[in-house]
Amino acid sequence: MEVGQMQRRLVDYTKTLFMEGFLDAQFLQLQQLQDESNPDFVVEVVSLFFDDSEKLLNDLSMALDQPNVDFKKVDAHVHQLKGSSSSIGAQRVKNACIAFRNFCEEQNIDATLRCLQQVKHEYYLVKNKLETLLRLEQQIVAAGGSIPTIEMGF
Amino acid sequence: MAETSPPTSCGSSPVVASPMGTPLRKVLNRISGLASSCRSKKGPRGRCRGIFHRDVEQEEFQYASAHCLSSYYSVFVARLAIMAMLAILIALLTVLTWHFTKMYTTKSLKTLAFGLRYELLQRPILRMWGILNSTSEITTAQVKLSEYVIRRYSKPTTQAEQVELYQMMKDMTWALFASRKALNAITISYKNGFVQAFHRDHKNNNTFYIYSDLANYSISGNESPGNKMMSMRQGWDDQFIQGNVSAIWYREPLDPISGEKTGKALPIPPDDVINIAGPSQVPDGVASWHVAVSKYTDSPLLSAALPVWDSSNRSIVAVVGVTTALFSVGQLMKELVEVHSGYIYLTSQEGYLLATSTNAPLLKNTTNGTKLMMAVDSEDRVIRMGAQWLQKAYGNKFPPGDVVHVEKANLGGQHYYIDSFFLNLKRLPMVSILVIGCVCILILTNGVSKEMKLRAELISHLNARRRAEASSNYKSQFLANMSHELRTPMAAVIGLLDILICDDHLTNEQYAMVTQIRKCSTALLRLLNNILDLSKVESGKLVFEEAEFNLGRELEGLVDMFSVQCINHNVETVLDLSDDIPKLVRGDSARVVQVFANLISNSIKFTTSGHIILRGWCENPIVCSDSGKFSPDQKKPLSALKTKLKHHGNHMKKASKRDKKIVLWFEVDDTGSGIDPSKWESVFESFEQADPSTTRTHGGTGLGLCIVRTLVNKMGGEIKVVKKNGPGTLIRLFLLLTTPADGTEHHGLMDFAKHSVAVILALHGSMGRLIMSKWLSRNGVPALEASEWNELTQILHELFHPRTRNCCFDDHYSRGEPLRSMIHSLQDMRNPVYIVLVDLGLLDLSTDIWKEQLNFLDKFSGRVKFAWMLNHDTSNAVKIELRRKGHVLMVNRPLYKAKMLHILEAVIKERHAEIHKRSPNGNKGGSHECLEIDSTHFETCSSDDSEISEKGGALHAGEQPREGTVKSNTANCHTPKNCLVELTRLGSEVNILRADEDECNAWPKLHDTEDAKCENSNSPEQHHVSSCTKDGDNSYTSKAASGEKSLEGLRILLAEDTPVLQRVATIMLEKMGATVIAVGDGLQAVDALNCELVGKEYRRDRMQTDICDFPPYDLILMDCQMPKMDGYEATKAIRKSEAGMGWHIPIVALTAHAMSSDEAKCLEVGMDAYLTKPIDYKFMVSTILSLTKRSA
Repeated sequence: MEVGQMQRRLVDYTKTLFMEGFLDAQFLQLQQLQDESNPDFVVEVVSLFFDDSEKLLNDLSMALDQPNVDFKKVDAHVHQLKGSSSSIGAQRVKNACIAFRNFCEEQNIDATLRCLQQVKHEYYLVKNKLETLLRLEQQIVAAGGSIPTIEMGF
Repeated sequence: MAETSPPTSCGSSPVVASPMGTPLRKVLNRISGLASSCRSKKGPRGRCRGIFHRDVEQEEFQYASAHCLSSYYSVFVARLAIMAMLAILIALLTVLTWHFTKMYTTKSLKTLAFGLRYELLQRPILRMWGILNSTSEITTAQVKLSEYVIRRYSKPTTQAEQVELYQMMKDMTWALFASRKALNAITISYKNGFVQAFHRDHKNNNTFYIYSDLANYSISGNESPGNKMMSMRQGWDDQFIQGNVSAIWYREPLDPISGEKTGKALPIPPDDVINIAGPSQVPDGVASWHVAVSKYTDSPLLSAALPVWDSSNRSIVAVVGVTTALFSVGQLMKELVEVHSGYIYLTSQEGYLLATSTNAPLLKNTTNGTKLMMAVDSEDRVIRMGAQWLQKAYGNKFPPGDVVHVEKANLGGQHYYIDSFFLNLKRLPMVSILVIGCVCILILTNGVSKEMKLRAELISHLNARRRAEASSNYKSQFLANMSHELRTPMAAVIGLLDILICDDHLTNEQYAMVTQIRKCSTALLRLLNNILDLSKVESGKLVFEEAEFNLGRELEGLVDMFSVQCINHNVETVLDLSDDIPKLVRGDSARVVQVFANLISNSIKFTTSGHIILRGWCENPIVCSDSGKFSPDQKKPLSALKTKLKHHGNHMKKASKRDKKIVLWFEVDDTGSGIDPSKWESVFESFEQADPSTTRTHGGTGLGLCIVRTLVNKMGGEIKVVKKNGPGTLIRLFLLLTTPADGTEHHGLMDFAKHSVAVILALHGSMGRLIMSKWLSRNGVPALEASEWNELTQILHELFHPRTRNCCFDDHYSRGEPLRSMIHSLQDMRNPVYIVLVDLGLLDLSTDIWKEQLNFLDKFSGRVKFAWMLNHDTSNAVKIELRRKGHVLMVNRPLYKAKMLHILEAVIKERHAEIHKRSPNGNKGGSHECLEIDSTHFETCSSDDSEISEKGGALHAGEQPREGTVKSNTANCHTPKNCLVELTRLGSEVNILRADEDECNAWPKLHDTEDAKCENSNSPEQHHVSSCTKDGDNSYTSKAASGEKSLEGLRILLAEDTPVLQRVATIMLEKMGATVIAVGDGLQAVDALNCELVGKEYRRDRMQTDICDFPPYDLILMDCQMPKMDGYEATKAIRKSEAGMGWHIPIVALTAHAMSSDEAKCLEVGMDAYLTKPIDYKFMVSTILSLTKRSA
């Protein structure tokens, strides 16, 4: 694939991610933060996010498996997940977290379990998307092209 | 899910289900579908594996759905179970509720009815008790006194002494008798048979003294010879009887009050009038009671008898009897029954009626005198039957509890309640009281059910209120959580649209559509903000910030902004602020601007032609009396409003003296469709529009004015619609704002009269022109007005070629006379400077005629100074041409005071420069340049302002570091020239850029402000420049705007537990040159700070030098929710440890919520500012800068 085509594909793909609400402006800010001094910043942060989220999701599953669910703990975990997802701009995960927290307040086990499923679902989706995106970027870089920047005038 | 099931499994169920109803079949279908889906669960998995390699995304989805299948299954079963349980629960609840309601009602009814009856009965009983008590008291008192008196005369020896004794007794008895009006009689019968008695006839209100003939009795009765052998008592009795028989009794009438004798004593047969209690009634020497009748009363009498003992307590010397009528008991019963209905009667134990609530007679006349009547023989049917019923039920053996309650006793075909109480009187045969009620209970029942209903209603009201409060709470909670979540997607939408608009490959239609979407989203965002604002105000969460701001400039910016919108509408926007309005006021500028933005945009919406005037003045008696600015009809309602305000304002005025508060009045006056007077109040309600039918044409939610009023009220003001002459609406409001101590002083207005300047206003808008010329005249600048090209030429001719054109002038213009006199007076001025302010709209821009017109005006350029008023869409070609011709003074529409001042000042300055030029060191070019600088600079300023105020009005307030901007703006105006040179360069660059843009822009020109703004922000260079001017006086911050290393050298401690956010924030800060130390929680943050301190201490100790004392970090960014120690706690700890150090490290909170309540909490624990997640890059920088700059 030639570089230009790949670049266009990357732009299109990014746009769809925004369009479908997987990502929001925060992700753009991340991309803008990446420069020569931090060439792998986005990758770094995103993989941090993956690690963190997987750990949190595990903790959440464990916490909800307990006979007596400690909703405070669950809520704290979800809050953290919400914080990290909002800072990389994974807004669908974030939205799921918001719903999750509401049910935590209600101490509704069934609903929280459902929300956990939902959050996991969203997480895997966005993980998949982000991995594809990053792979594309790497391919472009490998092919010697530069990553097109997307400007958003917020 | 039913679709995936194989048809075979489905096939069997309809056969079974066919006779059943469709709903049932549906359920069965669903269940069978479910079962089959369970069976087919393995199928998709297998397939899934097959597809696995084909598409990663699809795989993911399939995996998820397979995963979900089992969970759906369990969820469905759980749902079914829950539904069933719910149904049972509801049914149970209903039954229980019904049951309890019924039970409770009946029970409470019964209790209430019983309580009432009980209380009813208690009252006659109490009365009865009262009577008995008083009777016995009197009796006892009489006995005691008699004993005392008789003992004094224990051994009466002579007749005289005896008489004296009786006289004493009589007086004493009278005293007692007179004191108790209820008494019927008091009798004393002595051992010797002598009788004294007082009797009161209640029927005809007579009082009598009755006594027996003294002569018949010996002095010592018990020593009478005929009865010597008899026992003491026996003799007594005999004597008594004997005396009774033989004695002659006299009765003498007495004055009932004084006891004086009023008539002659008449002999009467003994025992005829009253019962005299004799010794027979005190058989064993103790008190006795009995019920008697007398022929003078129709009610039974209750009499008590007590013996009087002699001093040795061995023999009875006399018997005292006290008789009371039971009449009053009957009276009370009647009263009770009158109110409550029913029947009450009182009987003695034997069954004799003593009192009833009816008028049935209690006594019957028999052959041998009046007798008491038995209750069973009563003439009253109900009483008779009640008594009979009681007798039948209990006979003479009353139940041991002495209380009888019977419900539903059938008396003569009707149901009655019967209650009976028994009163045991010592020595008095038992008295029982019965109440029989029928109607009374019925009435009671009604009353009770009504009360129950009321109570139920009250309870339901309470519930409803509680629910409403809860839901309102939920609402604000919801908004608190949603405010951020709503704005973010909106921001994303707008951002994406901006991307799309930048795309070059859009067709024109697509572009138009996208622009439309962009506009709509902005509108939606604005609406969202409105609603959030409103709910914030309502929930009391809106906190006004107090900051100094330049009111005039804010309003000018606002008018600038709206005038752009208005030009298309053919509506003139005019700002008319009186000179006495202080330049700087303290308050929440964003909110003030929001008020006017809402009002003006509202006016614009409903005004299709004419003008919109924003007037403002300061409440101050001197000001109000001055100025012909307000026509009389406008002044009148004002004064009326003022008197109305007096009472409200009294305390306010006091306050205003203390706090330097001022009352600023404003009017928004338009010539639009107007508001019906009946709606003047209600337009300020939420979701209220004066004319609902206009919603379709004008849109809007009806929230704008509501927000305005809420804000105005919160700022201590009032707003109302005021009557107006002519079409349109006049909204008047006042605000209470504080002025800084030196804010009231007038900004140095130049004395223009000294400079002999005259102005010709050749402007289109008549209202603005009028107001401007009046203002100019007030300030000593004569002004001429022209509304069109021809008029302008006439005036110019008249001024400069008076002789040649004089005749034609009069013919053409009817208003010539005053104008000409004006012109003449102008001509009288010594060496005047004429300024002609020409509206570009006067030129004919559609053809090339405007160039001719310019050439024409050029002829006058030596004698007059031209200033141009441009439209915001004036094409660049015109501007360039103007500039080429040396017309450098240009302002944008609309014209207001500040712009006029600016023009005047520029002209005067230039004139001075020209004067200087004549002197050797003058420099024409230099002065020219200076002028240009000023004008361009001014343009940038104003456009900048409008952008800000647009944001202030539309976007979330308080996001702009407004104070700084205003300051720098004002600072710019007075910056020395050399500093401005650079700006000029930038400014002209802007102009060139703009020109380029204008010329080669393929897009349709956008007139809307939003689009203008978006256009602004989209051209990066321009943005750059405007931010340069924004932070103009501060080279430090101007660097910041260019985005590089603005935080150079700052040490920042970052406490954040989420690794991702930690990383992001670190990079953000490092990118700007800050040194970041990141820690994972609050505890570590505190430790890091302490560590650093200890290290410093140590170092200082070692070096033995007093290093300048400053904190280890310049700033701390603190997440609020962290494990181990949260941000609030950490802040508290840090502030505590700081206490001894003498510095204050700025702490900025990072919160996930965006409401002021969180902010309040943050500030409460000692934080300095807060940022919301996700972190906004620019906003973070500005916050950090503002904090670190302050501390530096």
